[in-house]
Amino acid sequence: MRLIGAELLKLRTVSTWWVFGLILLPLWGMAILYNWGTANLTRTVDPGADVPADQAELIRVTQEAVNVASNLYTSGQFLGVLLAMLLGAIIVTNEFFHLTATTTFLTTPRRERVILAKLVAAVLLGLVFWLVTTVLNLLAAPFVLRALDLPVMLGEPAVWRAIGLNALAFALWAILGVGAGVLIRSQLGATLALSIGYVIGSFGAELAFFLLTQYVADWFSKLQVLVPTTASALMISGTELPGNPPRWTGAAILIGYALIMGVAGTLIMRRRDIS
Amino acid sequence: MTEIVVENLTKQYKQLRAVDDLSFTVRSGRVTGFLGPNGAGKTTTLRMLLNLVTPTSGRATIGGHRYADLDQPLRHVGAVLEASSAHRGRTGRNHLRVICRAAGLPVRRADEAMALVGLTPAAGRKFKGYSLGMRQRLGIAAAMLGDPRVLLLDEPANGLDPEGIRWMRDLLRALATEGRTVLVSSHLLSEMQLLADDVVIVANGRLIRQGPVDEVLGSMGAAVQVRVRTPDPGRLTAALAPAGPGITPLPDGVLMVTGMEPAAVGHAAFAAGVELHELTGERADLEQVFLQLTAGKAEIR
Repeated sequence: MRLIGAELLKLRTVSTWWVFGLILLPLWGMAILYNWGTANLTRTVDPGADVPADQAELIRVTQEAVNVASNLYTSGQFLGVLLAMLLGAIIVTNEFFHLTATTTFLTTPRRERVILAKLVAAVLLGLVFWLVTTVLNLLAAPFVLRALDLPVMLGEPAVWRAIGLNALAFALWAILGVGAGVLIRSQLGATLALSIGYVIGSFGAELAFFLLTQYVADWFSKLQVLVPTTASALMISGTELPGNPPRWTGAAILIGYALIMGVAGTLIMRRRDIS
Repeated sequence: MTEIVVENLTKQYKQLRAVDDLSFTVRSGRVTGFLGPNGAGKTTTLRMLLNLVTPTSGRATIGGHRYADLDQPLRHVGAVLEASSAHRGRTGRNHLRVICRAAGLPVRRADEAMALVGLTPAAGRKFKGYSLGMRQRLGIAAAMLGDPRVLLLDEPANGLDPEGIRWMRDLLRALATEGRTVLVSSHLLSEMQLLADDVVIVANGRLIRQGPVDEVLGSMGAAVQVRVRTPDPGRLTAALAPAGPGITPLPDGVLMVTGMEPAAVGHAAFAAGVELHELTGERADLEQVFLQLTAGKAEIR
């Protein structure tokens, strides 16, 4: 507990957290506008027209009010979890960048406790990010839904489930960030690798899987859920989407990644010489 | 009382044996200088004592315990390792508060430690605005938070101005007088001669010599020189001759006499009725002894 308090104090006493908060706001704004735009677009697509049957089914379900709503109420996930992950990484790389790892591990020679405290602090921070975006979404999404001629949908359990699972996504990505920070100790290296890996990597993986599915074998599309971003997006969809794996696989895969990164990070940090 | 025990400590890096079967002890209530040329393994040894670097073999204990086994280590051991170890955007006071929080120490210790090192006026300033000397002081403040009985300092005089060095010397002396154990690594030998009671000299990761400063200096059989000035060097030379010393005449009536104690020189002059204007015994200094001891062992590795 003491160490978690110390980690949170470390965060509070430097300006990083509100800089990230300031970055979060415009990104959230972009996200909700983007979701509004896509909802508007898909609404105009006629499922009966010249699209294959399986895609038509997907479009029809995506158009369901509950899915549009859960998508809107979780706006900002794509970039929000990126920020949560980056902060998680920075919590760790700061110690090396500012040479404070020595002091930290002198104070607490049981290093696994330090990493554990950092994981908890990162999760709490991720949840703050989730809370901020969720409050903003609850304020803004009803207006967007009304503009789309859809009901507010806040009585719908599926929407609340999506919001809850969105919290899980923020927490898990923050853990991924801490693990990555241990593996890539350089501040700049970790930040660049994670941002580029996250944005380019998820689009690249989508493209790769699209090509594999098209030209090699259909079953590759089933593996797409292994890409962390796809997994977290899947987790927050309102209802089961046809042709996609069930939502729980998304959660399971993210938890798996978070576990691997967290455990690997702790083990590495325990053995490493600090000099 | 023996406080720090290093036994057969070895650290093998891929190419380099940084510390090689090193054993020494450090007593409490004294300032011990940990001396060696750059790259002798001083920092690695200190970091192994503090569980920051894992030894390849051997043991290092503080008060009979390995650092990692100490309950609330900051209450037992304070360490100053790098001058610049704080987040640049955090204020000095907050830096100490974070440590207090993690160590379970009362937060008021942050302000007390700030006052101890004379940093109170800069407590609310961010670390990036601190001078090197202020950073060293902040490091010492951090080490003193838990009021430890053992202090380890790695090159604490680096970056301090003469006034700061004087302050550090007085502080460390005072802490040792209170019965604490103080181990200071340094390559500033003249400074160590003023500060240390004991020395541990290492080179190439191995122990060269350990013991009280006087003993280490004496053991080198470093010839004592006597500097004597007289208006009549000729008669004094003649008066000293029966004792068979080495005499080097210098300008201004100064003679450098080797192989005789100052008292014997004074007695010979008195007996012969030669007027003396100056009589000083000059001890070999630590620097000469150190250079003799480590000669040829400080090659770049």
